[in-house]
Amino acid sequence: MRLAWRELVRRPSRFIVAGGALTLLVILLLVLGGLLDGLTAASTGAYRSLGVEAIVYSGESRASLLRSRIGPEERAQVAGVPGVLAVHGIGVALVAGWGPRAAEPVDLAVLGYGAPTAAVPSPPEPGTGFADRTLAEEGLRVGDTVEVGPARVPVRIVGWVDGTRYLAQPGLWVAEATWRQVLATARPDAVLSPGVWQALLVQGRGDPAELAARIDRSVRGVLALTLDEAISRLPGVEAQRTTFLQIIGVTVVVVGLVVALFFALVVLERVGMLGMLKALGASGWQLAGALVFQAVMVAGGALVVGGIASVGLALAAPAGIPLELYPSRLVTTAVAVLAAATLGSALSFRRVARIDPASAVGGGG
Amino acid sequence: MGLTLALGELRRGKLRFTLLTVAVALLVFLVLFQQTLAGTLLGFFTGALENQSAEVLVYGEQARRNVEGSVVPLTAVEEVASVKGVARAALLGEGTFTVRTEVGLRDAVLFGFERAAWGTPLTLSAGRLPRADGEALASAVDAEDGFGLGQRVLVEPGGTPFTVVGLAEDVRFSVLPTLFVPYEGFVAATLAANPDARGVLPSLVAVDPEPGVSSEVLAARITREVAGVEALDRRTAVESLPGVSQVRASFAIILGLGSLVVALVVGFFFLIITVQKAEALALLRAVGSGTWFLLRGLVVQVLIVVGLGVALAALLLLAAASASDASFPISVDPTLLAGTGGAMLALGLVASLASARRILRIDPMAATSRSGAGGLA
Repeated sequence: MRLAWRELVRRPSRFIVAGGALTLLVILLLVLGGLLDGLTAASTGAYRSLGVEAIVYSGESRASLLRSRIGPEERAQVAGVPGVLAVHGIGVALVAGWGPRAAEPVDLAVLGYGAPTAAVPSPPEPGTGFADRTLAEEGLRVGDTVEVGPARVPVRIVGWVDGTRYLAQPGLWVAEATWRQVLATARPDAVLSPGVWQALLVQGRGDPAELAARIDRSVRGVLALTLDEAISRLPGVEAQRTTFLQIIGVTVVVVGLVVALFFALVVLERVGMLGMLKALGASGWQLAGALVFQAVMVAGGALVVGGIASVGLALAAPAGIPLELYPSRLVTTAVAVLAAATLGSALSFRRVARIDPASAVGGGG
Repeated sequence: MGLTLALGELRRGKLRFTLLTVAVALLVFLVLFQQTLAGTLLGFFTGALENQSAEVLVYGEQARRNVEGSVVPLTAVEEVASVKGVARAALLGEGTFTVRTEVGLRDAVLFGFERAAWGTPLTLSAGRLPRADGEALASAVDAEDGFGLGQRVLVEPGGTPFTVVGLAEDVRFSVLPTLFVPYEGFVAATLAANPDARGVLPSLVAVDPEPGVSSEVLAARITREVAGVEALDRRTAVESLPGVSQVRASFAIILGLGSLVVALVVGFFFLIITVQKAEALALLRAVGSGTWFLLRGLVVQVLIVVGLGVALAALLLLAAASASDASFPISVDPTLLAGTGGAMLALGLVASLASARRILRIDPMAATSRSGAGGLA
């Protein structure tokens, strides 16, 4: 192992080839993961910020907020289900808004809600709202009045909230009355009677999956989902996830192959030296271990360099590219790359095992 | 190193050349696969708009070019129809609904078009366009999911019935099954699904320009002359749909990085090989082989390895296509295969320039100073 380490330190140029290719592959994997996370966050942030155990839709809505209608009767029944602690309504209207300084309107997800969530304080006064902080990039400030929807309903921003985008549109969290006003003027076909919400947010005790199942069983005509289930059923989220995970999977296999290719070349190049080491008493397993050690070290170096480059890319990416790198993505990518490197280098074990110590005597290789 | 030597080396170095070929194949497959996925995904996002007959689409100004968010006031519809250069203007409704098919509840997009007007699909593949109330044309890719010819689809809640009388290719929208229905049916389904609704306004106005009037010019004129609307020619409307540019930009990054990795892996592999056999190459030079002779061998090897990689990648793509789900079919586009294959071969040759440079710098005299090659030093 010491020999393997010394070779890495003294002759780093020998490993630059594999390191360079792996670094690019690491960047590719992190960019892929970052794009997936960015696209997912842009679609699901508002849901993730809710911090509730379950969301209840009308039964035929197929978990779409815009198609769901839950009346006061169903709400009372949901509130009576054992384990339910509190029930509040939520609704959304996707509209454009005009700020005081911007020449162009901005896309908005106007969310009406009845109680504070994990990320948003208690509903503000009618005519005011908490805005997703990404709207600051559009030139809006706290205290600005945004004219919302075709009827230009005025909403004054009274504070920022973080990570609350819905279907890629920044959230503007408003009181029930404001949301109903925006909905009625923007989409006459989507108007809801007083007391009717698009969905219910449920806070409860116990396992969320059991709670959702209990609500489903107890209340006719509703669809109760845990928060995670509701997030995965947002439009496009699963399709994007599947597409990106397939590409990431193929890329990880390529990482393993590049490592296998490189170390096959390394072993070929060093048949004589490895034969000498065997003649001096080194076992095949020791030599194979040294190979894996070098592969892991090269992959580790690629992870560090690729990770730094990817973070730089994420910081420099223009606003239109939804690239977001989370620590969890870095960790999963590191595990996948190290595993692929280990497996890839293991393909050379057979060749190492077959090296004849006698070849050292003849100076072969 | 002519063809014989180059091929002989490939035969003797089976393991390393096979590994390189497989690595290149997987990388090229990655590039092909992601391009195919991107094409399919984008087609599913935009097909209904891209493959309908209206050359100009008019949105409500507040929609920000988002069909789902667009509402056009009826007064604006009349104004659009009276703009110079407009031959015909027709209402187009759009909405996402829950529908009950023979196989269960599904999400589906409904486009409501005025009969015999613009805004109907151009890619009819079976049956006919809807003519009567209660008839629908469905996206062909969803035929086996309860949207086949003759099948009944109920829009819920309310149970508004439609019977599929036609199928069209590439007309999905927002990655969902899509139904084109008469406008009256669209309005009825919307009102039945939400009894609280105060009315249904058209989402878009589908416009047919007069002969000789370009769609771009007409769109700009409508936007200028009619307050509260934004008109776009069909191509711009498709490119402006939410998420399209983001998905396109994301896949462009992946394509760029993938191609770079192909070049790097091929380039460095042949560089290592060239360095490893530097002595043998020097000996060949010493016994009279010309530089071009050696370079030809390198080019042959690069073309064989990358060519086999591309062929293998095409087979992998065919396998992926045959195994793909009917709801997300992956099709093999020969133009894409030829274009990407050619690009990869060119990229492989460019990547081998470092090796070529190294060959050009080989000094035949070096052969006389290497003991391993029979020299004295």
